[in-house]
This record gives sequence, structure tokens and C-alpha cells, in this order.
Amino acid sequence: MSLPSSDLTEATAHADVYLRRLRREQLRLALLSLVAFGGAIGALPLILYLLPGLHDAELLGVPVPIWLVVVPPFPFFLAIGWLEQRRADGLDDAFRDLLEE
Amino acid sequence: MTLSIIAVVAVTGAALGIGTYGVRLARTTSDLFVASRVISPWWNAAAISGEYLSAASFLGVAGLMLKFGASALWLPVGFTAGYLTLLLFVAAPLRRFGSYTIPDFAEARLPAPYMRLLAAGIVLLISGCYLVPQLKGAGVTLRAITDAPYWVGVVVVAAIVALNVVLGGMRGVTYVQAFQYWVKVFAIACPAILLLIHLGGLPARSALFGSEYPTTGPDGMVVELDRPRTLTFPDTGETRTVPAGELRLPPDTPVPVAAGIDAQTGEQWSRPVSESGRGSPLLIYSLLLATFLGTMGLPHILVRFYTNPDGSAARRTTVRVLGLLGVFYLFPAVYGLLGRAFTPELYVTGDTDSVVLRVPAAAWPGLMGDILAAIVAAGAFAAFMSTASGLLVSIAGTASHDVWPGRRRRRRARFRVAAGAGMVLPALLALATREMDISVLVGWAFGLAASTFCPLLLLGVWWPRLTAPGAAAGMLAGASVATGMIAAGLIADVAEDTALGAILLQPAAVSVPVAFGTMVLLSLRAPAAPNVGATMAALHVPEAQR
Repeated sequence: MSLPSSDLTEATAHADVYLRRLRREQLRLALLSLVAFGGAIGALPLILYLLPGLHDAELLGVPVPIWLVVVPPFPFFLAIGWLEQRRADGLDDAFRDLLEE
Repeated sequence: MTLSIIAVVAVTGAALGIGTYGVRLARTTSDLFVASRVISPWWNAAAISGEYLSAASFLGVAGLMLKFGASALWLPVGFTAGYLTLLLFVAAPLRRFGSYTIPDFAEARLPAPYMRLLAAGIVLLISGCYLVPQLKGAGVTLRAITDAPYWVGVVVVAAIVALNVVLGGMRGVTYVQAFQYWVKVFAIACPAILLLIHLGGLPARSALFGSEYPTTGPDGMVVELDRPRTLTFPDTGETRTVPAGELRLPPDTPVPVAAGIDAQTGEQWSRPVSESGRGSPLLIYSLLLATFLGTMGLPHILVRFYTNPDGSAARRTTVRVLGLLGVFYLFPAVYGLLGRAFTPELYVTGDTDSVVLRVPAAAWPGLMGDILAAIVAAGAFAAFMSTASGLLVSIAGTASHDVWPGRRRRRRARFRVAAGAGMVLPALLALATREMDISVLVGWAFGLAASTFCPLLLLGVWWPRLTAPGAAAGMLAGASVATGMIAAGLIADVAEDTALGAILLQPAAVSVPVAFGTMVLLSLRAPAAPNVGATMAALHVPEAQR
């Protein structure tokens, strides 16, 4: 049974300040993750453009650039997502602890 | 061929069976709309992935790769990146806010009655545009495996999907779509892996990666043309029109290509990034931006976040979706590569979208190839059915809840009427556009989603100062710029593989900043809303521990 959020907000006079801080921390975490994945995925086309010689390198008979587009982005997305989810849940937990004090 | 029909019927029957089982569970209105929010993260993640992997993912990526080259492989990257952004910025707050649909969110966050209607109109437009290609895909696939007329596939799939949604609502659909995710992964992965093992590697390597064009093979090639085609012969550079009927091509010559396709050597074809054309970095960035921002705003995806039990579960669901999509997107490239080696006749007919359906039988003649072809056909059908169901739920939910409000008791009846009626127009459009390339409809849907709901959600969730007039003006500005640019591109008939064409036909790079800018500027001029603190708390305060 979950409490309606309004009960939590009225629980203490400090709640408003805490909430603003939580929102700011969550936003910072999200933006940081966005920069991390945007930077890596955004760099990939540029790397392949600047290094056309990569095309001659082969792995299991397929040129390396094809491998680089098809495989690594997806585990990378998953890893960033997993890390962000754990951190974000952690921030939520810390907020709950603050309110219970 | 018979095997394919059996496989399609089996998968469709199983989906209907699961849908019917869901009906017995769908007792309340909330069951119909958001599956009562009791679905676990794994079920929900499989359902989201099942809903998202449409005809474009199952057939389209491999088809575009065959047609234009390895630059098409950036599409899945953009499609998946959109989910990561949803996870980072939207998933948990949207779930906590507890609205049923995007129009609900729009009106609750920015109290003004016109917000709901505006958002509802955009939901209907995007979902409708996106539903037509699913039905067209169904018509093409059924024709490819049974020789039935095109309209049969459209009508059959439209009827089954409408029935399923009318009877089961969201809860039935959730289990059906989770099931269909696994059907699709199996159907694309199993044949790809078995074919690679059977072949022991990739044949025709110089046409794939080297300096040659695909060739007609040692015995020549016979292609059946159902209508006259204008073909370009890469060895002579000559272009001529050949009549309908049987076209015989001499052995070991480069395969001619239909209008709209450029003959490429393996070396040009297999580069994901190149100096010019579709592989140029500018076009790739434009494609990544359009797909990634557009995915964020697709209404049938967003409605899924409300079916999680709480905000934290919404995050866990989205992380699982990233994993499930990643597994699926490993495989379309295999069909693109094998298609260039085994089905080069598709360059002649121009029918590259059917490459996934045709590769198994071409690469492995005999019973095994037929079995694999049947598996792939069943997967393609699951793709149309699940995406079409999700879109129809979103259309019916929005129409019955936001556009046509009424007494609560009658809401289920309205949902069902809206679901039936919502299928009619897209089905008629699909029947009318049989011979037309409608990829522009999908581009428009993505452009609209990126330049309306994406800024609305990001600013609505994170920026307390956003006002209703600002948001409405921003969405209208974004939608008009996106629509205007696509229309200009169509009227001027610019080629998609030029810089101008890429910007006009994938307008997100311009229209999204316009929408954000309009929202921010107009909102800053208005005084801050008085009650926004409570709204922000509802979005961001975590649920109490259970």
C-alpha cells in the first residue's frame, strides 16, 4: 500500500527544499548519462568517417565498421541504463530516508 | 508455402487465444486502459518491445540495407537510443503522475482544456500515420507467401487486430504483445543463425565487400516482372525500360537495378559511413536525431509506462527493454548481407522490403529452407499484429477518453466503439495506397512526435515554469515546421540522399529546436503558475516503500 504523495510532501516543513534538491540531482544524473551516451554514439560515425582504412580490417569475414555499428551500441545502452536506474533509485531512497528523519 | 500459412495461422491463433484469456481478466475500465498497473517489469518490457518492433524493424531495416547499403544499420541505433532517453528523463515521473494517456498528462500538468484536445489530436494523427504502413506490410507479406490479393492481407490483419483490442483492451494486449516479442526474436534469430551455420560463412564476398556488383550467377537469371520497369545496367551504364513478363539476364553479368536504387560495388555498399550519399556523416546524424527524438514521443510507447506498478518499476522495465531490443537488432544485418548474396533479383524488381521473407528459401533450397521461411513469415505477421494492436489501443483510448468524454459507466463501451471505428480509416488508406511508397507517412509521424510530445514531456516534467499557452504554441510551431518542411521536400522533389533532402524529409534537427524555443520563450513571459509545486511533487516524489 503506497502513501499518496501529498502526505509525504506535507510531512515536514523541509520537504519542499528536499524535493527541489532531489529534482535537481535526478536531472543532473540524467543529463550526465545523456552526455555519456550521446558523446559515444555521436562519435562513432565521425570515427568511421575519419578512419576509412578500418574497412579493410575484418573480423570473422565481415569488415570491422559493420561490427562496430551492429553490436557495441546495444550493450552500451544497456549498461548506461542499468547504472542510471540504480543511481536514480538510490537518490529516491535517500530522499525517503531524509523525510523519515 | 503451405508451411508458411500454417505458421502464420498458428501464431495468429495463439495470439488470439492469449487475447481471449486476457478478456476474462479484463473486468474493470482500468483493465482496459492500462492493465490495472499490476504487470511485472519483465512482462511489461517484453510487451513494450513486442509493440515497438514493427514491420519497419522486422522487414524494413534489412530491406533498406539491401537497397541502400550498410548506412541503414544506423536506424536500429537511433530507435533504441530513444528508449534510453525515455528512461533517463521520462519513465519514472510519468508513471508517478498517474495519468492514463498523454492528453491526460498534458491537461493535468498544464491546466487548460485546449491542452487535452490538442494533445489528443496529435496522438490520433501520429497513430493513424503509423498504422497504415503496418497494414500495408501485412498485405505485401500475405501476398508473398500465399499469392492472395493484396487487399486480403490488409483486411484480415485489420479485422483480427480490431477484434482483439475491442475484446481484450490493454490487458489482453499486454500478454499478446509479450508473447509476440518472443515470436519475433525467435523468428529473426533462429533462421539467421541456422543459415550462417549451414553456409559456413558469407558467399559472394567481392559483391558484399569487394570491388564487384552482385551478378546473375553462372546460370544467368530469370526475373518475373509484374509491370514494366526502368532498369539501369551497371556494366554499360545504360538505362532502359523493359516490358512486363519474363526478363532473361545473361550469366555472370552485373544485376541491373530498378529506378530509385543506385548500383553499388560491395566496397561502397558495405560502408556504414562514406564520403557522400546516404552514408555521409551529415545524413547519419540527421537520421539518428530524427529516430531518437521521434521514438521518445510515440504515443503508443508512452502509454505503456502507465502500466507499471510504480516509478521505480517503470525504470526497471525500461532497462529490460533496452536489453530485449538489443538482442533483436543484432539480426536484421544478417538478412541484408545474405540477401545481397542470394536474392539479387530483388534489385531488379525493386521489392527489397521482402528480403527477410525470401532469403531462407533462396539460401537453403529444400525442406529446411521452407521451414525457416515459414518461421520468418510468422515473425513478420507477429510484427504487424503487435504494433497495429498497440497503435489501435492508443487511438481508441485517446478517442474514447479525451475526445469523446461522457459518463464513466459508459467508458468501456466507448472504448470498444472507438477501437472498431479507429481501424476503418487507416485500413481504407492502406488499400488506396497499394502502389505508393508511403515511407513519408512514417517520417511524418516521427517528425510530429519529435517536435510535439518530446519537448512537451521533457519541459513538462523538469521545468516548473512551463505554461499552457507556451506549450500549446510550441507544439503547434513544431508540428507546422515539421509538416511544412516535409511538404516542401515532397513538392520540390529533392533526393533523400542529398544534404537538403535529408534536412527537409527528416525535419527534427530544425523543428525540435523551434518547438523547444517557442515553449521556453512564451513561458518565460508569463508569471509562474501558483500551484505548480504540488504538480512537481506528484511527478518527482518517490512512492513510499511498500
